[in-house]
Amino acid sequence: MAVLTMPRRRPGATRVPPLVLAFVLVPLLVEAAWVFWPALQGFYLAFTSWDGLAAPRSVGFGNFTTMVHDPVFRTALGNTVLWLLLFGGLSAALGLGAALLLQQERRGIGFYRAALFLPVVFSLVATALVWQGMYQPDGLINQVLRAVGLGGWQHAWLADQSTAFYAVIVPALWREIGYVMVLYLAGLKGIDPQLYEAARVDGASRWQQFRHVTLPQLSSVNAVVLSVIVIDSLRSFDVVWALTRGGPYHSSELLSTYMYSTAFQSLRLGYGSALAVVIFVLAFGVIATYLVRAFKEAS
Amino acid sequence: MTPFTTDRRNFLAGVGAVGAGALLSGCVTQTSSNSPTSQSSSGPVTLQSNLSSPQAKTALETLIAAYNKKGGSRAQLNTVASETFRTQLPTYLTSANPPDAYTWYPGSVAEAYAKQGLLLDLSDLWQGPDLSRYSAAMRDLCTSPSTGKKDFVPTDYYWWGFFYRKSNFAKWGVQEPTTWNEFLALCQTLKTKNVAPIGIGAGSGTAWVASAWFDYLNIRVNGATYHRELLAGKHSFNDPQVHKVFDYWGQALPFFDPNGTALAFQDATTSLLEGRTAMMLIGTFFADAAPKDALGDLDFFRFPVIDPKVPMAEEAPADGFFASSRTAHAAGVKDLLAYFATAEAQELYIKNSSGTVLPTHPDAKDNGTPLVVKGRKLIASAAQVTQFFNRDSSDALQPTADTALVHFLSKPKEVNSILTTWQRDAQQIWSK
Repeated sequence: MAVLTMPRRRPGATRVPPLVLAFVLVPLLVEAAWVFWPALQGFYLAFTSWDGLAAPRSVGFGNFTTMVHDPVFRTALGNTVLWLLLFGGLSAALGLGAALLLQQERRGIGFYRAALFLPVVFSLVATALVWQGMYQPDGLINQVLRAVGLGGWQHAWLADQSTAFYAVIVPALWREIGYVMVLYLAGLKGIDPQLYEAARVDGASRWQQFRHVTLPQLSSVNAVVLSVIVIDSLRSFDVVWALTRGGPYHSSELLSTYMYSTAFQSLRLGYGSALAVVIFVLAFGVIATYLVRAFKEAS
Repeated sequence: MTPFTTDRRNFLAGVGAVGAGALLSGCVTQTSSNSPTSQSSSGPVTLQSNLSSPQAKTALETLIAAYNKKGGSRAQLNTVASETFRTQLPTYLTSANPPDAYTWYPGSVAEAYAKQGLLLDLSDLWQGPDLSRYSAAMRDLCTSPSTGKKDFVPTDYYWWGFFYRKSNFAKWGVQEPTTWNEFLALCQTLKTKNVAPIGIGAGSGTAWVASAWFDYLNIRVNGATYHRELLAGKHSFNDPQVHKVFDYWGQALPFFDPNGTALAFQDATTSLLEGRTAMMLIGTFFADAAPKDALGDLDFFRFPVIDPKVPMAEEAPADGFFASSRTAHAAGVKDLLAYFATAEAQELYIKNSSGTVLPTHPDAKDNGTPLVVKGRKLIASAAQVTQFFNRDSSDALQPTADTALVHFLSKPKEVNSILTTWQRDAQQIWSK
């Protein structure tokens, strides 16, 4: 830790002023009361059956064995994995693409950057409501399809089991791409132009420059992007809930929406907590493995 | 009126109260503390309301203002978004220092709390001058089967039916049907007029309106008693009786608006008013979203007879108030609820709301439009009254119905697997 490596001073000087202590302890207390304690209770509740009224009844690993045989859980898990791959993969690829496209300083480029970044500023629920309007049977998308003679492609996008999941991913992507783009733009700015000059002198093609200069130089940004994407995919809830509530008949169900509807609609709070534990383990697992690897590479 | 009436001081006080409440209650799962110690018995009665739609909210605000002007004990209204209210209600009622009174529904949804001893006994109120004259059906509805006590004060109710525009029916030259066969024939005729005969708004978060179809078909085919028993877990959704319900539904399905599962009921209302759909099975609350000039053109007919041997029950959900047994203001709460039970209060509420609800007090006047008079007569003549799917079972069972029924609407051929899945999901709620 940084404090330990600092040069040793007079013993009295290392005493922490009470104000600083307060600045650390008060947030810690708040965090403990509103985050750690409820989180711990969540773990406890995962081993109970509780309807929110009577006292929770311990059921051991009952909730987890139920989960194994629960087809909706399997659908939600499959959808979550698909969401992670599609949403994560596409937002990283398209975000990087947009950043490469918009990295040169040209006139008016600021407008395009701002336009792509704008969705990030909007609340995802507000975004979802706008998209919901576009997806309506008489909404913008169907009207455009009709106008260009593709009337046969018209769909009740959010109400059709085969399209609902993808229709929900689009607004989520629309927002995430701008965010990832900004992260990559910052990364690209940090690359020394001399590296490209050297590569050009060596006769490297555009693709070779990208493959052997840009990508390796972006590795630190990649770490950030990856954690952001994984966390954002696993906690994706608002956009799905606002658009389809996981429906129609669970076709766009994610673990997060299933957890919410089990806990707060069906009032099976024990089972809902067990689902939350699974989500936590998944998110923590993915990120911890990545961080361990990243730290190993760094040292 | 501006949507934010809270000033900064109130807001800060609210934040403080929430914080203190969280610290005091300490542990969310702790439900044992019984004595309301931290709350003084002076101060106004707090009424927690889920009536957050503009008209209903204003109507209740006016009512509370009238009550406070009366002198005596005072009440303070706290309106919460209805979805938040629904998910928070168990927390309110089990907390050590709960709000005093609540808007909610009688019947099995209140019973879940009555069984836990969380509701204030209002039996003495029911012997008062107003409530003692309410109908026997209302009295039964507000009596807890487990405790035998009366714990609810109903103030208004509404009805469900097939609503249509009179001008459109006249234009198409069609009449109200009374039997199922007439109904199917009507649909057939309407289809030739290039209109979707049956509108429904079971998409975009209002999938629950599809339950009205299930309720009514089940009431007409198997009777209200079987319906209630089924929802209480005494029968299986896999029973041949339930399959029969879906056989009938299947006959009407070709006449449903194909966009029905993509629209919220508010948008389906627009389709109905604009004549893109001909009729819709819905509760009178849909008129909240209708322009005033269209209201006079609306009419309804009751769900057609399927089996003449089955007594005609109707869906007429009642709304009203109950109170927490942990209140420190029991006398004040009872005074407030007694006021809500008077004809005067109910008339005042109806005057300021959308006006399509009916008062529970036998003397209270409704708003007198032909539609409302017809609705009141329908319920008065009903052999039995049911509440609605969630109110006759539980809010927890409603999502299982939403999934099953929306699935059926788009994949009617999969009805066997849909009913098996529904029974499995319902079993998990019943055995909770």
